[in-house]
Amino acid sequence: MPSFDLLMQGFATAISPENLFFAFLGALMGTLIGVLPGIGPTSGIAMLLPLTTILPPTPAIIMLAGLYYGAMYGGSTTAILVNIPGEVASVPTAMDGYKLARKGQAGPALATAAISSFVAGTLSLVGLTFFAPTLAGFSLKFGPPEYFALMILALSVVVNLTGKSLVKGLIAGLLGFLIAVIGLDPMSGYARFSFGNVNMMSGIDFISVIIGLFAVSEVLSNVETHVVDVYKAKLTGLMPTLKDLRQITPTMLRSTVIGFFMGLLPGCSPGVTAFVAYDTEKRLSKHPEKFGTGILEGVAAPEGANNATTSGGFVPLMAFGIPSGPALAVLLGGFMMYGLQPGPTLFEKNADFVWAVIASMYIGNVMLLILNLPLVGLWAKLVRVPYPIMAPMVLVFSIIGAYSVRGKLFDIGVALFFGLIGWVMRKVELPASPLILCLILATILETSLKQSLSMSTGGLGIFFTRPISLTLITVALVLVAFSLYTRFKHPEKASEALAEESE
Amino acid sequence: MKKNIKLIAMLVLALFAATMASGCAGTKKEDASAKYPTKQVNMVIAFTAGGSSDVQARIVEKYWKKHFNDQPLVFDYKTGAGGQVGFTEIVKAKPDGYTVGGINVPHIAIQSLSNQATFKVDEFAYIAQVVADPNLLVVKADSPIKDLKGFIEEAKKKNGKLTVGIVGTFTAHHLALLQMEEILGIKVTPVPFTGAADQNVAVMGGHIDAMIGNLNDVMRDLAKFKLISLASEQRHQWVKDVPTFKEQGYNFISDIRRGFAAPKGIDPAVLNKLREGFNKIANDPAYLEDMKKIGQPEAYLNGDEFEKVTNSYLQTSKTLVDKYGLVKK
Repeated sequence: MPSFDLLMQGFATAISPENLFFAFLGALMGTLIGVLPGIGPTSGIAMLLPLTTILPPTPAIIMLAGLYYGAMYGGSTTAILVNIPGEVASVPTAMDGYKLARKGQAGPALATAAISSFVAGTLSLVGLTFFAPTLAGFSLKFGPPEYFALMILALSVVVNLTGKSLVKGLIAGLLGFLIAVIGLDPMSGYARFSFGNVNMMSGIDFISVIIGLFAVSEVLSNVETHVVDVYKAKLTGLMPTLKDLRQITPTMLRSTVIGFFMGLLPGCSPGVTAFVAYDTEKRLSKHPEKFGTGILEGVAAPEGANNATTSGGFVPLMAFGIPSGPALAVLLGGFMMYGLQPGPTLFEKNADFVWAVIASMYIGNVMLLILNLPLVGLWAKLVRVPYPIMAPMVLVFSIIGAYSVRGKLFDIGVALFFGLIGWVMRKVELPASPLILCLILATILETSLKQSLSMSTGGLGIFFTRPISLTLITVALVLVAFSLYTRFKHPEKASEALAEESE
Repeated sequence: MKKNIKLIAMLVLALFAATMASGCAGTKKEDASAKYPTKQVNMVIAFTAGGSSDVQARIVEKYWKKHFNDQPLVFDYKTGAGGQVGFTEIVKAKPDGYTVGGINVPHIAIQSLSNQATFKVDEFAYIAQVVADPNLLVVKADSPIKDLKGFIEEAKKKNGKLTVGIVGTFTAHHLALLQMEEILGIKVTPVPFTGAADQNVAVMGGHIDAMIGNLNDVMRDLAKFKLISLASEQRHQWVKDVPTFKEQGYNFISDIRRGFAAPKGIDPAVLNKLREGFNKIANDPAYLEDMKKIGQPEAYLNGDEFEKVTNSYLQTSKTLVDKYGLVKK
């Protein structure tokens, strides 16, 4: 097992005081960046990239990588406490996490998020350590038709996110697609719905939409009600019980597998895998009706999956130099600046460096767990902050967050606009999650569809003659059929579960 | 050692704070050009991160601070539509010198001819050309296609169904493909991708039969590809055993130029500072060494020369576009 020896050598490098320090610094800043909505790992890494000119490569990349996976830990905090996902990947976390916090179980919810992140993060690192070269080939198996099929599979999740009314959920999903269409056609350069406005031509950034639909609209809705119930009762237990842990263990393991394998595919962002993992758990659960009402599995699944995806993403990055998302693309820039050319030769030429970075990720995950668990008590107290104090803070962070993504004032306008839309959507009970999911899937869906049709010179057969895409589409159809069947067979069960959701 | 760490930590935090603060700081109009740059400069990249244009700009970034008051260069990816999204972003940006971007020729020339054009080539203030990258016909390493002859045979056998990847439609690659089809007397099916990185994966994975790529795109994964022919006058020193189209009797010459530009209307003094800075960067031996290491065919031209090259490509493209009736539909 040569990987193991190399990993041990990596540890030897990674535990030097300097490298440990930078792993810690990366993890800490990642947590903070994750907590702040809008300022995600992408802008975080971009902000710190100039440091690479003064630091040697190993500590710098260790720090930037730490920031990346650290952000996935932090993203859940605000999702759970105030229903504002810090990252796209924490949108599904908010669905159950916020309900748990409202029930006075913010502590166990936060701790579950941290533990699940740790378990999934560490397990998928094992995958990265021992199977990276083998798994790298997996990402090559996916051509345009396979991506299209994968996006269809991810879309099948929408049916389960629709809430009380299937029609309303689908309307929300379509709205998501409509928003995604704004801007230049990714293939032909044709401007769509831009009204000649350059900002519209660059498209609507989904982070601003999320901030608007979740954070801003939450504030607007709460301002309407005179008294927002601040949680006064004693916070019951900060940590999940042993029974809880036993219950969420299978969830964590399954989410790791889903997150890691989908993470191998360039273009599958942690946001997508978090939704898919949440949906999988809901389907496999003995009590699917409890999802969305505040259960720990609903927090463990997306948080586990998004962390596993971050590790999975390092496989195509290191093996081919293919970044699977914008954050890793910026990290790739960091590699480049040191003249470290990711690709098959990286493992041979720069073995010391690669293994030190991988080893540091194991250490970083432990650090993040140690860092995040004690913070649980502190964060959980935030639910007691009176709303008149909380609301302006939420708005300020929303505006900073929306601006920081692209540095455009336009995006603040987008966030505020979607705040209003979100407020109206709450009134008419249109769920926000299907909109977000369709928005993040739309671009790859469209591009891969057009590419596939070019490949087949217009025939749809291409999706059904390639084994991987056929399998994925079949699974998607079966899942949708199954969801619809249960929905119409037990309508009372579904509405019962969702009655609570709309409060 | 401990003290050292503390020092580094403070430095890191200070820099972090400074970067955040500088992003919000306003600028005063007067003597702006003399002190330029006084804050971070945004670099718009019109292609996927990890693609050729991005990697090259990253090398520039490495030397940027040395020549530009120690201010950071911040990357802003505006990808899609064969670069049009990003190029548009550059011309529409505030011409204060704090937004520059990577431009590709003939991409901008072709796009300016479209009836969907969102800019004209004279809307850019040209800073410098840094790369001239020849186009190549590439297949997967274990493809049954062995050489140009084999490619032509296969294309004829598949009767137009042979798939060839290009980056975007109505792009340099697209025109190169049309030119190649005509010169080789074949018909293929083009499959457009949003960037070189995705296109490379599709060839490596065997999802498309071949692609029109650039030398730089394939240098990173040379073991995964077979280079069929090079569309330049002479063989390239990095891949000496790859024949040119020309030496095989097909006069197919096609390349891509990479450079940098600012929006038109920029203060000439600031433009000059940018041009000087890029000139110094492009002649730095360490920079040249880095360019070679990452496989970028370096070819520096100053802003004026680059503008001339762009205009000559505009004429060539116009001829091609008219010939194939690409604009009117």
